[in-house]
Amino acid sequence: MSKATLGALLVFLFVITGFLGILFGSVPLPISEIWETVRGDGPAAHRDILLNLRLPRVLLAAFVGGGLGLAGATFQALLRNPLAEPYILGISGGASFGAVSVISFGLAASSSWTLPLAAFAGALLAIFLVFRVAISSGGVMDVRVLLLSGVVIAAFFSACIAFILSISPAQTIQSAVLWTMGSLAGADWAQVLIAAVYTIPAGVTLIALARPLNLMAIGEETAYYLGTNVEGVKRISLVIAALITAVSVAVAGVIGFVGLVVPHTVRILVGSDHRGLLPLSFLAGGTFLMTADLIARLALSPIEIPIGVITALIGVPFFLVLLRQSSVRR
Amino acid sequence: MMRVRGQPALILKLLVYFAVLTSACQSTLKEKDSSSPNRIVLIDAAGLEVNLERPAQRIISLVPSATQTLEALGVSHKLIGRTDFDVEDWASDIPSVGGGLEPNFEKIIALKPDLVVRFAGEQDPNTRSRLDDFGIAHLSISPDRLTDLYKSILLLGKATGAEVVAASIILSIKEDLVDLQQWTSEKPRLQVAYILGGSPPWVAGPGTYIDEILGIAGAQNVFSDLGFLYGSVSPEQMRSRIIDVVLISDNAQFDHKLTPEARVEKIGKALEFPGPNLAQTAKQIAHILHQYQL
Amino acid sequence: MKFEAKDLVIKYPGQSRPALNGVNMSAPSGSLYAVLGPNGSGKSTLMKALIGAQIPDRGAALVAERNVRDWDRKALARAIGVVSQTERVSFPINVREMVSMGRYPHLGLLEGEDDKDRHIVREAMEVCDVKNLANRDLSTLSGGESQRVRIARALAQEPTALVLDEPTSSLDIKHTMEILELLKQSVASGLTVILITHGLDLAARFSDRMLLLSEGQVAVEGTPAEVVNEDALAKVYDWPVRVQWESTTGSPSVTPLHKN
Repeated sequence: MSKATLGALLVFLFVITGFLGILFGSVPLPISEIWETVRGDGPAAHRDILLNLRLPRVLLAAFVGGGLGLAGATFQALLRNPLAEPYILGISGGASFGAVSVISFGLAASSSWTLPLAAFAGALLAIFLVFRVAISSGGVMDVRVLLLSGVVIAAFFSACIAFILSISPAQTIQSAVLWTMGSLAGADWAQVLIAAVYTIPAGVTLIALARPLNLMAIGEETAYYLGTNVEGVKRISLVIAALITAVSVAVAGVIGFVGLVVPHTVRILVGSDHRGLLPLSFLAGGTFLMTADLIARLALSPIEIPIGVITALIGVPFFLVLLRQSSVRR
Repeated sequence: MMRVRGQPALILKLLVYFAVLTSACQSTLKEKDSSSPNRIVLIDAAGLEVNLERPAQRIISLVPSATQTLEALGVSHKLIGRTDFDVEDWASDIPSVGGGLEPNFEKIIALKPDLVVRFAGEQDPNTRSRLDDFGIAHLSISPDRLTDLYKSILLLGKATGAEVVAASIILSIKEDLVDLQQWTSEKPRLQVAYILGGSPPWVAGPGTYIDEILGIAGAQNVFSDLGFLYGSVSPEQMRSRIIDVVLISDNAQFDHKLTPEARVEKIGKALEFPGPNLAQTAKQIAHILHQYQL
Repeated sequence: MKFEAKDLVIKYPGQSRPALNGVNMSAPSGSLYAVLGPNGSGKSTLMKALIGAQIPDRGAALVAERNVRDWDRKALARAIGVVSQTERVSFPINVREMVSMGRYPHLGLLEGEDDKDRHIVREAMEVCDVKNLANRDLSTLSGGESQRVRIARALAQEPTALVLDEPTSSLDIKHTMEILELLKQSVASGLTVILITHGLDLAARFSDRMLLLSEGQVAVEGTPAEVVNEDALAKVYDWPVRVQWESTTGSPSVTPLHKN
């Protein structure tokens, strides 16, 4: 499949999925009414639902899913490891730790942004610790050490969270677990704005670094020989990808699987050139998450299934089929 | 390029940037409400001020005990939304908005409530702020002790214009409980455990209405020395205490082998919610323990 | 483009002796310069120092009479094509895409490849006999094929010099000879070629000058005839050898003897 074909297909799916996400929800809104409602002629409640519940939610899904796709592709290139994904540097562990701490101290309800801020702070803490460990005295960042320290830091935060939960009352545990399973239910325009402000410039920067990333994915030595500023590219890309992930986790909880599978799927279809891989991973990730969110909302309405469950349930079979087909082709 | 010692400063900057951005977004997007002087002003269980133009007419209850209270107050016709945990027969026709902690907001908004009753406390940090975002009045109640129950009944009564009924319900509950307590004070105290279910078993500790009701019904809650309101206990803890009677709700699974010498009695759903029927429940328990005449 | 090392000392942390201990060498511009020596004698370290990938503890490496560390990184990449011994690729990529990466030093961040770039890539693939593999994924190639792909990538850089670390180790006779003859042609058209290899015979046959390293120091530097002699080799490799010069090709053949 050529990049252009996949690109066109994904843009189409992206837009369609977005529309479907706005059209459908737990409260049926007749399609004929939608346009009137947006213009302001329909009932106020319906307008509220469309513009203040569904639209921000769909947009947030697009940015978070797209961001995770971008981050996943970037980490896979920089760590030269197909198993890499956005949470590999312990970011989800740090964010969960921040969120759970705030919930258990009874501060989460004090303001609607306490929880995301705490999660973001926890994520930054994890990033800081992991980078600190991985940068040697010579200022060189060894990605193998990065990988290892990410695993270790993640385990550490896991233990801290388990400890906090073991001495917490039932309600805290329930809140904490629900948060970590990921949810876009709390999406509002403020979160959409933040996600956009972080993800768009980050995405643009990463796409501009597509060629150096191509080289880094082959090897740091090769990249150096072909003129790349290896340490510089490494740091900028890692920090950007980590920040995108931190913001995603802060607003939506831990949504797994997207950052791992989406880049691989795109790679199987159009190859590893990051000039195509990055923007297509963004589109594919956004589409994927918008679809998953729609299913999460509708399947057992009015109850919402945690979105991480849906991403895994859809993603796994889809990816396995793709994997089989690609190995058969070879 | 970035050096290690520059990173703490960078991280601090990022945090501040994020915080400023979120709060800026919040304040620009939230519409300020400056309405006329209000008819009803209440302080709810979370200490928040609740303003209602007039008695609530369209209520969504996210708290099962509040649903029961609304019925006792005679305003169940004002209930337009409930949760999946409300299993009263009379409420089955009323649409559900999902679970109490993560209610479905589309449903809530579509029902156009003028009051949402929710749990005070940490469980669901988002509901309160989202209700504020949409300009929907909300009242929180606490489900912990008997005093919380009385306060809830009064709050709901005031909010629905049924203040007089509320006061009389509270009085009647109090009288019944005082009478019962006097009656059971002459009976030997039995060691009782109330199991909510689960494995390991989930029990009620001190500071809960369960603890208080058991005391009034002539029982000593064997778990009144625990350090939490609700939590699980190990088999060792169960064995190490003398338990005369184990009370469980109908749905609960309980392994009798944990308390081989105790008498196990099912008491239905009576103690599951701190609702207005607690006085009846107390008498029921006193009947089981001490043959109190119902 | 001349490559020089002046009193080069490089010591890796935790090692008992320096990898390079005062090495002086000079690869003249437009020559085929072979670097040989036993394992651990410092060949790869010297190569890394000459292309600026390893900072010397003392002394300097110079490219075109300028300290290699003073060169602009991208300019150096346009000037020198490096072929390392092995490369492990974790992601799907085909031969054409791999060879095209050789054009990156010539392209700006947002610049696209044009017809000239594609033509150069095609030529490089053809010269290295990998054009028929253009759409094959790298993971399906043999060791020798991927070595030729890496050489093609270096050629696509249109470099002024080529530095190769054991480029023919996995190649059969045909491809080995083809590559060496290609390198000889490149030298004839003006490139400088530095070649690290274990193949004494072919190195002596094709190179203009040779360097024999031993334990981080220069054992002999000079013409093939000067370097490939029995005493020097026996001493450096700690093994007795016989050297016979072949009249038809004008190259020596080195035969290891038995050690007693």
